[in-house]
Amino acid sequence: MEQQFSYQLVQEGQLETALLAGTIDSRAETAFSDLQKKVRGPALVLDFAAVGRINSMGIALVLRFLKQLTKEQGVQVQVRGLNQINAMLFKMSGVFLMAKEVR
Amino acid sequence: MYPDHDQHGPATMIFIGPTGGVKPDLDGLFPDSSDTVLRQVCCSGDKPTLIEEVVALIGEEDEAHALLAQKAALMVDEMLENALYAAPRAADGSPLFPKREPRTLLPEEQITVRYRYDGSHLFLEVRDSWGSLTQGQVFSYLAVNTREAEPDPDRTGRGLFFMWRLFDHLYVRIYPGRETVVGGSLLLQPVAR
Repeated sequence: MEQQFSYQLVQEGQLETALLAGTIDSRAETAFSDLQKKVRGPALVLDFAAVGRINSMGIALVLRFLKQLTKEQGVQVQVRGLNQINAMLFKMSGVFLMAKEVR
Repeated sequence: MYPDHDQHGPATMIFIGPTGGVKPDLDGLFPDSSDTVLRQVCCSGDKPTLIEEVVALIGEEDEAHALLAQKAALMVDEMLENALYAAPRAADGSPLFPKREPRTLLPEEQITVRYRYDGSHLFLEVRDSWGSLTQGQVFSYLAVNTREAEPDPDRTGRGLFFMWRLFDHLYVRIYPGRETVVGGSLLLQPVAR
């Protein structure tokens, strides 16, 4: 059964971390826009460990989200927990140019 | 390009992949045997079911199978999104259906999925009855997504670009105004460490 996208924003010590889960596609738009409003900065970790499939519409949402956070809000973003296919998609679409991968 | 002529008239056939191995003979990829699965799509709600079906066929017993299943799930997702939302166009070229809205196929509309797994290759194909994709768009989508390093959320054709990068072979056959067929094969490969 496909899991709809959801997130949980938590504090890990000094780090603000968004734990993402489910499928990231066009239906995740509202949740990303909601998350963007809640991020305080100046740094954020996006954890994709519980994320399944990210399609091209989902990649567009991730890129838009990162562009707004990094360029307009000045937040430094790191990503972690990517599976192999999602790491490939991030590399192909330039996500890592806006958010470094951390282990 | 492989020009093709049959009862529908001239078509565009674009085949991208290494020479040798799998040939652009679409029926050859899907022989009329029990391991070729054919599904008629009736609504957008069929997409998750079809994805689950293909993933279950491959299995996820080790990393190599899990990666193939992940690629296959993404390819089915992209191909069906194209057929359900990008292909249907009004006379002025505008999309008929918004991407986030669930939809049922129009009475005269057809979307067909074919797939076959032989234990090392997965063959996938989706055909729609619109034929709205053009050869120019295919090359333009691939070129712009290859050329532009700057990440742009609004860049078009990213789905087709992913197919081109992830499929071992990709083919697109277009009968303008009648049918678009997009397909390809994925190979089970050892996972790089």
